Amino acid sequence: MAAPYPVYRSLVRLYPSAFRHEYGEDLVAHYGDLVADRGARAARTRTALDLAITIPRYHLEHVMTEQHSTTVLGLVIGLFAAGGLASLMTGVGPPSLILFAVAIGLAVTQRSTLSRALRVPNSNLRRRRLQTAAALGGTFVLTYGTFSLTVGDSWTITDTLLALVGIPAMIAAPLFLLAGLLTPRTPNGEDLVRAR
Amino acid sequence: MAASDPTSYLPLPQAQFHVLVALTDGDRHGYAIMQAVEESSGGVVRMGPATLYGTLKRLVDHGFAEELARQPNATDDARRRYYRLTGLGQLVCAAEADRLARLVRIARTNLRPGLA
Repeated sequence: MAAPYPVYRSLVRLYPSAFRHEYGEDLVAHYGDLVADRGARAARTRTALDLAITIPRYHLEHVMTEQHSTTVLGLVIGLFAAGGLASLMTGVGPPSLILFAVAIGLAVTQRSTLSRALRVPNSNLRRRRLQTAAALGGTFVLTYGTFSLTVGDSWTITDTLLALVGIPAMIAAPLFLLAGLLTPRTPNGEDLVRAR
Repeated sequence: MAASDPTSYLPLPQAQFHVLVALTDGDRHGYAIMQAVEESSGGVVRMGPATLYGTLKRLVDHGFAEELARQPNATDDARRRYYRLTGLGQLVCAAEADRLARLVRIARTNLRPGLA
């Protein structure tokens, strides 16, 4: 038998996965109660506004959680460091110093946030970080290999694109590797930290 | 300020206060909470399903409410999840009620002198 209320059920899929897993079935059951109690039209009217407001709101809240803030912070630091390295490689000294200084300044001032994110035991996160490091490492090897084979006397658009991908990957790969190795495994293989 | 100090959580968002008030009358499942909120607000506050469960999630995260491991009565619907107020939730709800009562008293005094 098909699941009841397929339209509402499919709209529930638009919520962040953590909220959906925790309350998805409750939402559908609640909607079913509303239909039985007030009628389909009243249920649709009430839930339409609810969906329109809460889907973007819960996604925003999900993005603003500490774990995601740390990821964004790490990416920002990595981008500044990549910009600094790119600037250094192209022979433009002063901007590279500024970019490196910003990256180091951010890392130092936000060290407590970054270290907190590394202290929480989470086997899944550890595995994801190591997988990301492997993917970035592979990306760097691929771009560097292609660059070595195609580089000529003049700098082409292809070279620029390869540098834009390869340099951030070169910086981010060891950072993710370090973060993955520093993230403790969850005791007994259970996930103590649930995605929120 | 200690996190267990109930006044440190004030003011409560309106939806959270309504749900806490609904739970002061006993353990309830989600749909019953929605009905209680509608009744206590005279039909003014109408919560959608996601607003309700998002609010319940916050209350549980803060430690103001907790999910019951099993239904309060054997006759209750087994597919539903029931929620109850915690000790901290009662203190926070009472503190918010006091805060609002003071606010209402001031408003009445200022708007209609002599009637407060």
